[in-house]
Amino acid sequence: MGRSYIVEDAVEGCLSKLCEQKAGSVTGLLLGQSSPQRDFVVMATRTPPREETPAGNPVDKEWVSEHARQVSRMLPGGLAVLGVFIITDTEAKDTLTILRQLVFAVESLVSSEQLWSPAEDDVSDCVALHVNRKTRKTFCRTFDVKDPKSTAKPADWRYQAGVSASWSTVSCCLHVDLLVPLPDNKTDPENMDTCLKEELRGWARRLESGVCLVDGRKLAEDAELPGGQKRNVRQTYTAQILVTPGAQGLAEEQQRCGGSVCVRGAVHSRAYVHSNKPKARLAQKLLKRDAVSTVTTRVQMLLEELLTSEDENKGSSKQKRELFCLPHRVFCPLKASGPLCVCDYQFSDESVCEVTERLKEMLDIDAAEEDLDSSQEAPGQIPEREVGAEPTVETAVALEPKRNSFVGVAMATAAALLATAASILYLNDV
Amino acid sequence: MVVTDSSDSGTILRVRGPLEFKCQLDSTDALLMQKVISRTFAALHSQVKSESCVLTVCDSSLIIWPNKGVYVTPEEITPNTLCEDIHQWIQTDEQESAGKRSSKKKNKKSSSASVINLCLMMEVTKTGPLSAPILRRTLQKSHFLSTTLPMDCVVRTTCSDTIKDAFERLLEALTHQLCEMEKVTLQHMKGATLLVPEPLHFLLPEPKGLVTVVYPAGVPDSQLETHRKELHQQFELPDDWPYFRRVNAFHFSNEPYKDGYLRNPHMVLTHPTLDNGKVYLVQGIYSYHHYMQDHMDDNGWGCAYRSLQTICSWFTQQGYVERAVPTHREIQQTLVDVGDKQGSFVGSRQWIGSIEVQVVLNQLLEVTSKIMFVSQGSELASKGRELANHFLTEGTPIMIGGGVLAHTILGVAWSETTGQIRYLILDPHYTGAEDLQVITDKGWCGWKGPDFWDQTAYYNLCLPQRPKVI
Repeated sequence: MGRSYIVEDAVEGCLSKLCEQKAGSVTGLLLGQSSPQRDFVVMATRTPPREETPAGNPVDKEWVSEHARQVSRMLPGGLAVLGVFIITDTEAKDTLTILRQLVFAVESLVSSEQLWSPAEDDVSDCVALHVNRKTRKTFCRTFDVKDPKSTAKPADWRYQAGVSASWSTVSCCLHVDLLVPLPDNKTDPENMDTCLKEELRGWARRLESGVCLVDGRKLAEDAELPGGQKRNVRQTYTAQILVTPGAQGLAEEQQRCGGSVCVRGAVHSRAYVHSNKPKARLAQKLLKRDAVSTVTTRVQMLLEELLTSEDENKGSSKQKRELFCLPHRVFCPLKASGPLCVCDYQFSDESVCEVTERLKEMLDIDAAEEDLDSSQEAPGQIPEREVGAEPTVETAVALEPKRNSFVGVAMATAAALLATAASILYLNDV
Repeated sequence: MVVTDSSDSGTILRVRGPLEFKCQLDSTDALLMQKVISRTFAALHSQVKSESCVLTVCDSSLIIWPNKGVYVTPEEITPNTLCEDIHQWIQTDEQESAGKRSSKKKNKKSSSASVINLCLMMEVTKTGPLSAPILRRTLQKSHFLSTTLPMDCVVRTTCSDTIKDAFERLLEALTHQLCEMEKVTLQHMKGATLLVPEPLHFLLPEPKGLVTVVYPAGVPDSQLETHRKELHQQFELPDDWPYFRRVNAFHFSNEPYKDGYLRNPHMVLTHPTLDNGKVYLVQGIYSYHHYMQDHMDDNGWGCAYRSLQTICSWFTQQGYVERAVPTHREIQQTLVDVGDKQGSFVGSRQWIGSIEVQVVLNQLLEVTSKIMFVSQGSELASKGRELANHFLTEGTPIMIGGGVLAHTILGVAWSETTGQIRYLILDPHYTGAEDLQVITDKGWCGWKGPDFWDQTAYYNLCLPQRPKVI
């Protein structure tokens, strides 16, 4: 018995519109939330057209996956890329292979960025939707991405109004304080990336085993979110997270280092939970994962920028102390989707219109500046004089990198930071 | 040192938690290094005193913020609730098996003061909105030190203490422990190597109660004698009985011993009351060794070996020696090494007696023993004074061998006026599992009368003498 996808009405409209485009296949991503019993699709977003290749060319796996990677960074907790769709004139049976390749490539790239450990109750099925351009008929199948030999299983695809209308929102403001040594002579952005990733994994583990309070109370694992019985009422909850302030049983370590990296500040973390008797355990899991993702994403983005700028400037700046602001989080509501928002990250030197441009490019959302919510976080502030600093004179240089557009970033970073991911794509040519 | 008030009843609150200690030493100058270490400790002080510091009660939903006016969740509990009431909120396995408790409890004393375990945690969430993070890269060749401080504080509460009282004291204990750890760390720093400061708790004779001492990890007891001397002076303790060796650390009742042996099974017994009589018992801690343990089938021949093992365990657990309890083979090899037995003795099932016990204790543990001889078992009834004196001054378990059996004497109840006498016997012939109830119910550890001995056989007793050191 296959999976069951409950799909927002607006998605039908979106797919219909895409059917009206010129010839050639149109691919895209399906976004929503999985649960063991059923899956909810709240949005569809088409793969952005590639500048060099005109429409009508064969589907580009790498491009679709890269789009998925960028889109994942824009989804708060509880929302994820559930799978792909393809709109084409060919028969459903003919697109099976390409859909399978896309599903696995997307999953592989997106999960490679995730630093939190998968849980046993995670759903590993991804959806592959085929839409016939002329008849508008849909064929819905799933693949189990944990099994490289899995075959397509039929699944239900059902439209419904107000799928996410009464979803709950759990949020918190989380303080981050990480200090990582950098190896001798290896203080460039690539090494910072490796070292920070390792530290973030440890931080993710600590968060995962931390205690989560919902509206001030510690709930039993199997308890449902309080007030979940009220139908058609949106619930918002504030969470508190308590962690063990150290790792048990770690021996004393000392190492020679060439420097250190410190990340300190606060992030707004948020997760959406479906309204079908959600358990507290699910809400906590989604919120903690969002916390890890949002910090990881911002660090990644900053390091990607640094790598580009250092490449261009040939030879990194060897200033003793440098401070960089991580971008702050901005939310954009999904119209006709209840309380759901997507998010983006704005560097301090960027204007709001750059955010709206990215929302349009990645998610095909037409957002006005007034719609955006940047009140959840204040932009990072570099202090005049850091508290507790040594009495030596320091140069606090605020390097605020410029954000390139999707295309530019993808091209520049593909070689540097996606080297591993790219090889995975090529090696796993199924 | 933190000294907790003693009282007969009351609960012990114990908070444990790891605190991350990270710092960069960019100079080899000792003074500068000390400044960095102290600064790192100061940051930990702020952390513990901040509003983000949280203490959670293990196995319950109780969470307390000690620096926010001792705020408690869930709301049914307030800072003015009595500490004792915390017990009601703790889920224990015993609650399920409450109905199955043995009705033979009348012979057993209740165990020591109950312990409530707490975890030290930090709240990482705050009320927003706050500033997005800053990434700071520092280029500086240095030593990066990273370790974990194993915080472990205890506070003893009386039945009238409220949560507010107790938790304020816990906070004080935590900050005090950080100071102690800083002292120990700076004292034992070697270059850029830090030794982890480890807190241990020691139970001193009433009214002093539980005391916490911080020792540097990795430094053996032999090098810490000066520290122990200071402690003995501070607490006015005799200087010939160890209280502060690491193995003397207080064992909390809710923690099972890792080696699986029972400790001091005699403590749950009700001791006999004789007219004008007094009870003289072994001092300190021993573990119960008996037939069939350690996958060694010595049924029928190993009783004296087991008694010897019990005695050796006493010397190890008081901290006089740092070797493990010897196996049968090691005992036999020792006797061969000193020339007491032939080589073929090793691996055999030959019995040993109190003389051999004395030899092994001397050779392996450097412990001397006195031998007491009685020509017939009935004479043992008249040895009350000597046995009582032994337990008063030496306090070690006694091995007694005679006829065909060996036993361990753990104490004596003796009346000077009536001459009545009872012997607390630990029987090595037991072949079952480490079940305290069975062992005490069936008398494998129990009080026996003078008729326990074979009235016509002769007996040798080995009375180990404890070294007079700290």
